[in-house]
Amino acid sequence: MARDITSQSSKSPPKPPQAIAAKIFHGLNLISLTLMIGSGLQIYNANPVFGGRAGWQIPPIFTLGGWLGGGRHWHFAAMWLFALNLLSYGIYIVITRRWKHRFFRGNDIKALQKSQNIKRKNYAWHRLAFTAIIPILLLAIFTGLGMYKPAQLHFIVDFFGSWQALRVVHFISVPIVITFAVIHSWLGIKVGGSRLIKSMFF
Amino acid sequence: MRQIQVPKPYLPRRRFLQLSGISSLGLLLGGCGASLFDDAVRKATEPLNESVETLLFNPQKPVPEFPTSAIEPDALIVNTFDFTPKIDQKEFRLTVDGEVNNPLSLSMIEVQKMPLISMTIRHVCVEGWAAIVQWGGVGLRDIVSLVQPSKNVRYIYFKSADGYYESWDLASAVHPQTLLAYQKNGQPLPIENGAPLRLASPIKLGYKQSKWITQITLLSKKPPTLGYWEDQGYEWFGGL
Repeated sequence: MARDITSQSSKSPPKPPQAIAAKIFHGLNLISLTLMIGSGLQIYNANPVFGGRAGWQIPPIFTLGGWLGGGRHWHFAAMWLFALNLLSYGIYIVITRRWKHRFFRGNDIKALQKSQNIKRKNYAWHRLAFTAIIPILLLAIFTGLGMYKPAQLHFIVDFFGSWQALRVVHFISVPIVITFAVIHSWLGIKVGGSRLIKSMFF
Repeated sequence: MRQIQVPKPYLPRRRFLQLSGISSLGLLLGGCGASLFDDAVRKATEPLNESVETLLFNPQKPVPEFPTSAIEPDALIVNTFDFTPKIDQKEFRLTVDGEVNNPLSLSMIEVQKMPLISMTIRHVCVEGWAAIVQWGGVGLRDIVSLVQPSKNVRYIYFKSADGYYESWDLASAVHPQTLLAYQKNGQPLPIENGAPLRLASPIKLGYKQSKWITQITLLSKKPPTLGYWEDQGYEWFGGL
């Protein structure tokens, strides 16, 4: 028994400590984004962004809500979870000053350019990925608000030039977020193995 | 070169159970469970969404308009829930009644004698498409003030010749750009777009903008049937 413990501790580093607030944000973000994408694709099918009524539709297995009305109810319900979760996280990283040292910054750029240490490089890529997704998520809210309230918030539609441009930019969040989820998981495994992945969930 | 060894077994029992739980949840949400849940989701969030929408809505502020050169004549899709009624414009009467001091029945000639308002706005459909359209017609607020509604009127109900029905909040109905339109893109309103009279407004989704309107009723309470699509499950406010 004693031998087991020593061999384990010498082989594997301890589980990386994660702040409970970061875990909650991460979990709720994953759930709310899944709901947003599923319901968003349901709404998409009412009139595909690409091709209109004649356009290719998303297979029902990837959609949530069953019909346009149901998709909208899910979308505007999950929107609260998604936006308020992101807002709370924003406040949290400002108050705790996490934004200063937990995100991609100057020394990561240096590492990507000059470092010979592959571990340090991977870590920099990892930080770049999870930092870059934050403006994408904010952009999804901004474009979504523009489509939700194009009369009251007409300046958002004007900013993107046309209704179709606004729809395209809003939709683009879907492939970006899915691609991010894949890259982010892969980099997470590369940087910290299943131990790091587990530390973010449990 | 592999930096970190992935510990084995690759899919331990606990992880397998977690994964199967997540995927069966997906089946429940995406499959037959969806229609069961969407009404519960609507009931849980529509009151909150509606109060935020009402808060965002400025009943006095006109929505910026477009130059007529921006009109997209082919983008406006004709959506009709049932059939296209043919109405004789000479025989047509618009009834305006409800909790009012001066109920009216107006002919098209009388309606067209009232001040004509023209606007080029974006018409937005719940399906996701939009079209820039010019509408010309009489301001609904002018009709409302003619019938002298009683003080506690808060809602307005629209009945159409094809059986379609809708209800709006009064503040949206008396917005300066809510029209009973009889012109589209500089021409008399085509029958398939709702002639002789239809609602047109930049502040509500397309399904709120009834076509072939025959009766307008002012009410102090929300009507028992809110609207054709609302009674199927669409959101009632539908504000933009």
